[in-house]
Amino acid sequence: MERGLIALGAAIAIAIAAGAAAIGIGLAAGKAFEASARQPEVAGKVQALMMTAIVFIEATAIYALVVSLLLIFAF
Amino acid sequence: MMTVMSYISEFWHHFVEKLIEEIKIGDIGEEISHAIAPNILFSARIAGKNWLISDAVVATWGVMIVMFFIIWYLAKKMELVPNSKRQQLTESLVNILIKLCQTSGMTYAQAEKVVPYVGSIGIFIALTNMVTLLKIPAPSKNPAFPITLALINIVYVVYMSIRLAGIKGFWASLIYPKAALLPFKILDYLIKPISLSLRLFGNVFGAYILMEFIYIIIPIIVPGVIGLWFDLADGILQGVIFTYLSVTYIGEVLEGAHHAREAAHS
Repeated sequence: MERGLIALGAAIAIAIAAGAAAIGIGLAAGKAFEASARQPEVAGKVQALMMTAIVFIEATAIYALVVSLLLIFAF
Repeated sequence: MMTVMSYISEFWHHFVEKLIEEIKIGDIGEEISHAIAPNILFSARIAGKNWLISDAVVATWGVMIVMFFIIWYLAKKMELVPNSKRQQLTESLVNILIKLCQTSGMTYAQAEKVVPYVGSIGIFIALTNMVTLLKIPAPSKNPAFPITLALINIVYVVYMSIRLAGIKGFWASLIYPKAALLPFKILDYLIKPISLSLRLFGNVFGAYILMEFIYIIIPIIVPGVIGLWFDLADGILQGVIFTYLSVTYIGEVLEGAHHAREAAHS
């Protein structure tokens, strides 16, 4: 019973974080493409900024991954 | 003809039997817990303390020796006019890093000072993550390794930004838009190493567990294909991101110092 609840908690943790991170990365990438289509001359700079933003957004999903791994293996 | 056909069908039959025996799913959780436990190879008692040598230490030293030879090969016998492919490769690698530094707001002279450290730490992380190709667990699987790297990195970032922008410039970047933001900027320097180490650890550890899982359930062909991403591309990407972020952190400080200097002049 308890192991099942822990597994469910880990699944919910990673699912919410991964979904939210996917939405965030999608928004960031979409806006970046829009910006570089309007102003192709700053495309390089926009791409670099987008990479930074995506790395930071992805980090939140990684934190959730670490938490759910801890839930599964440390308890 | 008949004998060949019967031989083939018999062979196929045995093959399927063997395969089903191979992929019989045991207690996966047990096997994965065994795989992620730190693997102590040998321990020694020196000066009243127990020194544990895990596989991460051995892998790290192995990678350092390999990296020494790679860099020695890339950097030996430089000429003013490059006429070997080796030197052109080295120069283009350094050029990419210098371009990266320049896009985050450094001058060429400043970029030349930063590149040796960030480049070598990027190559080091990429090589340590690529160790999983040889079925050796990556050192980043052990939390001590990414935490150490992140701490070294943040000390280097603070040291380098003070050296490049001066202690006054560093202070100006701390209070750059408003002085009220100072506590948050200091908090930022505590969160940066946590974020750096957790990113590296989470990525490598997650990839390692997934690869172990795939090795257990489908031991043929599939791990090789999926491993191309999780062992090779993801490992190199982590090294690139580590380099990129440390350059960005230094660039942020320089930008703040630059704005403060402009504000003081006008």
